[in-house]
Amino acid sequence: MYTIGKLSVLAGVSTDTLRYYEKEGLITPASKTAAGYRLYDDGAARRIRFVKQAQHCGFTLAEIQELLKLKATDRACCQDVRRLAIEKKLRIAHKLRALQAMSRALDDLIERCNDGEKPLDDCPILHALENTLQEVSR
Amino acid sequence: VSVQIEVITAPGCQKCARAQAELCAAAASVLGEDNLIWREVNVLEELDYAVALGVLTLPAIAVNGELRFSALPTPEQFRAVLARLERC
Repeated sequence: MYTIGKLSVLAGVSTDTLRYYEKEGLITPASKTAAGYRLYDDGAARRIRFVKQAQHCGFTLAEIQELLKLKATDRACCQDVRRLAIEKKLRIAHKLRALQAMSRALDDLIERCNDGEKPLDDCPILHALENTLQEVSR
Repeated sequence: VSVQIEVITAPGCQKCARAQAELCAAAASVLGEDNLIWREVNVLEELDYAVALGVLTLPAIAVNGELRFSALPTPEQFRAVLARLERC
């Protein structure tokens, strides 16, 4: 059994993070000492590794909870987990697309300004942003 | 005028395959087989297309290039949407 401090060192996460994981239902202490200190087993350490690995792949804590729920469901199969992974990939692809659009918009702005020596009042980037804002508010 | 229906799925989804057959039959009964273009889209092979459609969950259904269902509808729901489309 591990105290929260030992588990923190073993799993490489802070004790605050462990308390947060517990609040979110991702881990639960196996028992408590007579003084009320949390004690965790190897299962909790494995679960934290799972959480960290899933976060590395972009899963949010809510999505990780869904994965863990599936893991514990007898009727679930690998296909269900695979679908969640593909849906995550879709969400990442959507974000990438939005970021690429932002990057292109910045390219347009940067291209407008080929003279960095101009005073701020004549800054074509600020002008373009202001005009866009005016267009949007109209 | 032909109606193109695309079912965007993850490959290997057996539940989707069963439901698709029912939905395809429902679509054919409303639109007529000659007016129906049915296409199954493997999301892993056409990820960019799925993203362009706005697909975030699977399976999803697009009608004439527009995302209409983010989950599989019942054949009744599907028929109702297609019937509305026919009237437009």
